[in-house]
Amino acid sequence: MKPEQFLDVNLLEPPEPIERILSAIEILTQGSYLRVWIHREPFPLYDILDREEFSHAIHPGRHSLFELFIWHGHDKTARGLVQDVIRSDEDNSLHCHE
Amino acid sequence: MKHAPGPALEQAPPISAPLRFFLSAPIFGLMAAIILVVAGPDALISRWAPITLALTHLVTLGFITMAMMGAMLQMMPVVAGSPTWRPRLASSVTHSLLCLGVVALACGFWFDRAGLLWFALFILAMGLVFFIVIITLSLVRSRVRSATVNGMRMAVISLAMTLAFGLRTGAEYIWQSQTHGVHSWTSMHLVWALIGWVGLLVISAAYEVVPMFQLTPPYPARMQRWLSQLMIALLILWTGACLLPLPGWLLTLIGLCLAVALMDFAATTLYLQNHRRRRRSDVTMGFWRIGMISLLASLFLWIGGQSSPTLAAWPHYDLLLGTTYIVGFAISVINGMLYKIVPFLIWFHLQSRHIGQTGLPTVKEIIPDRRKRHQMLFHLSALLSLTAAVIWPEWFAYAAGILFAVSFSLLAFNLFAASRMYVQTRTSLDDPAL
Repeated sequence: MKPEQFLDVNLLEPPEPIERILSAIEILTQGSYLRVWIHREPFPLYDILDREEFSHAIHPGRHSLFELFIWHGHDKTARGLVQDVIRSDEDNSLHCHE
Repeated sequence: MKHAPGPALEQAPPISAPLRFFLSAPIFGLMAAIILVVAGPDALISRWAPITLALTHLVTLGFITMAMMGAMLQMMPVVAGSPTWRPRLASSVTHSLLCLGVVALACGFWFDRAGLLWFALFILAMGLVFFIVIITLSLVRSRVRSATVNGMRMAVISLAMTLAFGLRTGAEYIWQSQTHGVHSWTSMHLVWALIGWVGLLVISAAYEVVPMFQLTPPYPARMQRWLSQLMIALLILWTGACLLPLPGWLLTLIGLCLAVALMDFAATTLYLQNHRRRRRSDVTMGFWRIGMISLLASLFLWIGGQSSPTLAAWPHYDLLLGTTYIVGFAISVINGMLYKIVPFLIWFHLQSRHIGQTGLPTVKEIIPDRRKRHQMLFHLSALLSLTAAVIWPEWFAYAAGILFAVSFSLLAFNLFAASRMYVQTRTSLDDPAL
């Protein structure tokens, strides 16, 4: 599996973005993360991710209003990869939630 | 973990709290439709006829207020970040009192029973005061300062005013049974109910739900900041002008300002829908369009009545205003929103309980689009028939009643089928051996 799995849920009506994200994270393996283009913050998703022990980070995107990253909470490799990706983005308004 | 400010769904009330209101609403709509079928043209002769008052309150309290109270109980923790006091108990008490009060009020009007009307006023006062206190306490605790929450505050103030004027109107109606000495109190009661309670809550909810579900650009920031505040100020001014009393032209001027404010909202909503970021339209958007066009029609009709005494004196004028505003605007928007709120609630509660499990329905499977679309067509046909029936009662009253009965039955069926799916899915996932 490639380290980055990508999902574009821009302009889908709620809660379809969350439905698709939940399906996509089911196949995440060690060392991989999900990158999502999304047009608004999926607040209800965060509680579900917490309970399922996934970590996430969200920041303003270039191709969508937000870019959301999700990885297994205990997966340090994936976490490092996400941090590299976010760091390489020039946006300073990073809100990282772990 | 700390999240940015936003809806806090982990604080959401148990699903039974709002759902009982949403499931009851179409039943009261159906009762109103059955009364229209039974009474026929007699129900549409005058707004003061007891049968018409019974029918109107079954719709305004039984359908509109019922659904709006359920929505507020759901919105308090999610949008205002402030859960209500013991949501299960609060919803049981307010729902039971509202159901009992509406039935008693409708029967009291229909059968002209003063005792029943007193009982209804007492029960409704208890239920609504209890609801207002609970929501006010939550709103006071809320630290959210969004346009939606501010609008909710003003809607609750309007509900309190509606109740106060409603009790006064009701008492005078009973004491001076069959006389017409209660018109000015009635005007204050219905203006606070329709423009304040219904109008302000729809407007404040629209700021959240229209951009979210219909993928439109947001409402203009200036509108979100000022519209509701302007409207409540105008309502207070108008009430003062009624009570003092001030010259009639001042009342008309304030009314005109309120009409322009509502027109601004309706026109902006239609504009935003036409500039939505995703071109696909759905049933809820269809209901909102019917609602906004009806609102504009109602406001143009009211302005026409102010400028033309002939139109204002037209025997069908008052009922036509009420039909376009209450049925065309309020019922359409609420009907459309029920198709978003109920499937979303069911989906969310199933997801929260059974995360990661297979066999969970997607939100689109909870109420299929085809069934929602059929019901919308019946609603639209019923609305057009009722509008015609107001002018030609002998020709269209029965047709309107039957079409509304079908429309509310289909709405009830769709919502109950969705709830049944929730119960069945929960049962099968909680105990797969079953």
